Amino acid sequence: MKNLNYDTDDLIAALATPWGESALAVIRTSGKNCIDAVSAVFENSEKIKKAAGGTLLKGYITDPGSGERIDEVVAGIYRNPKSYTGEDLVEIYTHGSLPGIRAVLAALKKGGFRDAGPGEFTLRAFLNRKMDLTRAEAVHEIITSKSRKAQSLAMARLSGNVFDRINSMKFQLRDILSGVELQLDYAEDEDDPGAGIDPSAVEAVRRELEVLASTYRIGRLYQDGVKIVLAGRTNAGKSALFNLFLKEDRSIVSDIHGTTRDYIESYISIKGVPVKLFDTAGIRNAEHPIEAEGIKRSEQIIDSSDIVIYIVDSCEGLSTEDEELLDQYGDKNIIKLWNKIDICPRQILPEGFVPVSSFTGEGFPELEKLILDTAYGGELSSLADDAVIDSERQKKHIDSAVSALQEAENAVKINVPLDLIALDLKEAMDNLGEITGEITSADILNNMFSRFCVGK
Amino acid sequence: MDFDAIVIGGGHAGIEAALAVSRLKFRTLFITQNADTIGKLSCNPAVGGLSKGNIVREVDALGGEMSHLIDNTMIQFRILNKSRGPAVQAPRAQADKFAYNQLAKWTVEKQENLSIFQDTVVDFLLNSSGTKIEGVVTERGRKFTAKTVVLTTGTFLEGMIFIGDYSSVSGRIGEPAAVGLGTRMREIGFKVGRLKTGTPARVNRRSLDFSKMELQEGDSEIIPFSFSREKIERPQVPCHITFTNERTHKIISDNIGRSPLYGGKITGTGPRYCPSIEDKVVRFPDRDRHQIFVEPEGLESEEMYLNGISSSLPEDVQEAFLKTLPGLEHVEVIRPGYAVEYDYVDPRQLFPSLMTKRIEGLFIAGQTNGTSGYEEAACQGLMAGINAARYLQGKEALVLKRTEAYTGVLIDDLVTLGTKEPYRMFTSRAEHRLSLRHDTADSRLLEKGYNVGLVSEKNYSSFIEKRDRIEEVRELLRSRRLKEKDLQKIETEKTEEILRKHRGKTLEQVLKDPDIGIDDIFAVEKEIECSSLWLKQIELDVKYEGYISRQEKYISKVEKMENMKIPASFNYEGIEGLSNESRQKFISILPQTLGQASRISGVRNSDIAVLMIYLGRRKKGDNS
Repeated sequence: MKNLNYDTDDLIAALATPWGESALAVIRTSGKNCIDAVSAVFENSEKIKKAAGGTLLKGYITDPGSGERIDEVVAGIYRNPKSYTGEDLVEIYTHGSLPGIRAVLAALKKGGFRDAGPGEFTLRAFLNRKMDLTRAEAVHEIITSKSRKAQSLAMARLSGNVFDRINSMKFQLRDILSGVELQLDYAEDEDDPGAGIDPSAVEAVRRELEVLASTYRIGRLYQDGVKIVLAGRTNAGKSALFNLFLKEDRSIVSDIHGTTRDYIESYISIKGVPVKLFDTAGIRNAEHPIEAEGIKRSEQIIDSSDIVIYIVDSCEGLSTEDEELLDQYGDKNIIKLWNKIDICPRQILPEGFVPVSSFTGEGFPELEKLILDTAYGGELSSLADDAVIDSERQKKHIDSAVSALQEAENAVKINVPLDLIALDLKEAMDNLGEITGEITSADILNNMFSRFCVGK
Repeated sequence: MDFDAIVIGGGHAGIEAALAVSRLKFRTLFITQNADTIGKLSCNPAVGGLSKGNIVREVDALGGEMSHLIDNTMIQFRILNKSRGPAVQAPRAQADKFAYNQLAKWTVEKQENLSIFQDTVVDFLLNSSGTKIEGVVTERGRKFTAKTVVLTTGTFLEGMIFIGDYSSVSGRIGEPAAVGLGTRMREIGFKVGRLKTGTPARVNRRSLDFSKMELQEGDSEIIPFSFSREKIERPQVPCHITFTNERTHKIISDNIGRSPLYGGKITGTGPRYCPSIEDKVVRFPDRDRHQIFVEPEGLESEEMYLNGISSSLPEDVQEAFLKTLPGLEHVEVIRPGYAVEYDYVDPRQLFPSLMTKRIEGLFIAGQTNGTSGYEEAACQGLMAGINAARYLQGKEALVLKRTEAYTGVLIDDLVTLGTKEPYRMFTSRAEHRLSLRHDTADSRLLEKGYNVGLVSEKNYSSFIEKRDRIEEVRELLRSRRLKEKDLQKIETEKTEEILRKHRGKTLEQVLKDPDIGIDDIFAVEKEIECSSLWLKQIELDVKYEGYISRQEKYISKVEKMENMKIPASFNYEGIEGLSNESRQKFISILPQTLGQASRISGVRNSDIAVLMIYLGRRKKGDNS
């Protein structure tokens, strides 16, 4: 049977604002008893449960498991039927950082929400008669066009490798399941229907899935880009390096301190890996208020970055200010550059520093390699041609498949009857089917008939 | 009108249909080609099996007859799959096929409101626009009028049998086919196809040496198929098992060119799950042997059925390969195996009520719809009979859901997906088989059977008694906790040890331990006493509650889609945004619910979403 995603009143959640960095993001949730469900991930749960429709509440989103605070948010409460969808609905206004949005969505999922399908909020609005006919016409437009687009996007995103690997695991599961179903449906008359289930076959699929799931971090970096911040004291040569990366004159390069007052960002690509590069204002104790503001923002950027490239002007040497700043970055990935070696080649290279010249480009290829090694922790080379998953949805289905297979393996160990184990196998297979396409019971029967000799 | 209803065909579908309509007080004519072959078991002498046994019990719960016929004529009973989980265990019984046939014939003969008439139907009487059934015309030129007709022709509609080069226009060997009606159906505009099935040789018991075969006995305890019976005490006879070998396979491969199947004479598609021996040899060359069951056809007959070796090879080849089987060296064949090819009506031309979309009042059931098996036929016959009666009563059709019966799965599959080979039920066709256990058929369906009017007051009140008692016991298990002093009531030390760690828990929690059975619980708490079958059902319900509730979660999800009805007059042409492919499919299937629409093969989720929107719009329109 088709697993139709347009269920009519279960709990759904989705980012309502565009997926990207912004000042503010809105996550919309809707469904039956939605407010109670959100209360499970809201620190002041009693308050939100009692809140009247049309009110705003300030509070923290917390992890439903650990109770840990995730982000400070404002929740907009709408009670059925006075809401966009006509159901209980909560809008969560959160900070517009991608990691933050992801964390809030993850908490909601733990709390029982699922990703909303394309146009699903509007669909509900229509079904609950919150929308008139003319607008409804537009809705089906949205759904048809969006789902088609989403489908093609999903397909495009699913690189051939991932598709093939997930499919191959799905077919392995189908084969295991066909063997099981054969025993269940033909036990009466098969000469040798096979004995039970081979847990090692299940384990093999599970392990392969786990490997695939572990590529998610890498996949995500690929998708969102590695966030690199150029930092250092003013005039260390950050902007020159930035330009070297860009290979075009975009950032203002001058030798007056504090030229780059705010930060500048740009997307570049290092050996095919997308990189989001930030040039920050030179860090120094600014007295000018505008500059001070820029510096403050730079610090925020540094906090959320994957790699900090810290640049020291070799002509000036390593100052105590540099050492203090480096200490502040704590356990962040830091690449320390010893810049301007073309001008001051006689300076002694301090330990852990990479010698470069942002002017001549000397040392630049080594730097690029170091960036990739740092970002992927050496995982990149092993991935060369391999499959990487890059969406939260894929990760979720693979994780569910893994846990269903674990269930199945445990069940085999404690002699749970085969028909119940089949339920776990089916669940795992269905999850993979959500990524690459469904396997129906007719497919299983076909496979059974083609692989086994059956029938009295 | 001469009659309220006419049922054509005296097989397992026809019997159920005829009995259901007449028991619901409608004057019914039962037309069969031969009044002696009513309820004949054309192929294997057995009823039930995996998922099929469940269907027989569903037929019983709805007030059908098959369960009674087999309960009264069985000569061996087994629960299959005892080593597996509860969902895939099922009862199967060897039938005395002569007694079965006799009892079936006698049962319909005695039925009030039901007239039996021997003749062959060759044409339908339709209203002037050809859209409504008005009666039938027979081979001998008789005309009978009725408001509704149920067609159950089995393998007889333009049937043709094959043995090597020999072929004959027959539905069973020695019995003429129903000729003419198939052509007529095509003229009316029905999409009619050809299917093929086969049957093995019947041999004389005297000529067999059972000492060379394995013995297969029945179970000592017999569970009746019918919920209205407590127990069955009948003589049980064994079956035997032998195997084919390389010599058998060589004879078959050497003569494969003489097979009508491989020679191209037969065009119909055969069932892959029940292949002929020549199919098995060709398709699975690596197998060095195939298992053959030797089953008695009846207590008062020497005929034996060779299950697993159906064939349409020439008779000399059949005899030659049979003689290679251990114990069959001197076999005497009474009737050869043969293949039969017949017309079936693409079941996608039916509504889930089994009424045809093309002709109002005409219902089709059984093998004519492309199924295979007595049980699959019987449940369709019963549903067609019930719905023919409801049509006469002006009531809404009874349509069983996939989540409540194998019968529901079967009919939904047929009318939604159609079939390209004879359709047999498998437990794996049901998404929710844990909820479709054979022992729960009464709790799933008996109330429906009662509301329809086919289940007696007496049977209904015993069901209510059972249901209430089971609920009482469940409540007791939930509330009663295991105490220290209970441990002394336990007889074996092993159980005592296991029970010791459960002190303080409720008996229901204790019962979930795989090492604890309902008998151990009974030793602790005599208050739960009730029929051993009920206790068994309670045990299974408790033990598998976790798994069952997982399925129920899924069921409640699909239920919403099932409850979104699509009106018959729904205009798919007027909907923008549907893909053309899906639009054509919707128009041809005319799904009755959104759930059914979503199961049509190749229909996209986005099309279902569009449908949902328009259904919502209708709802709004209706209300304003």
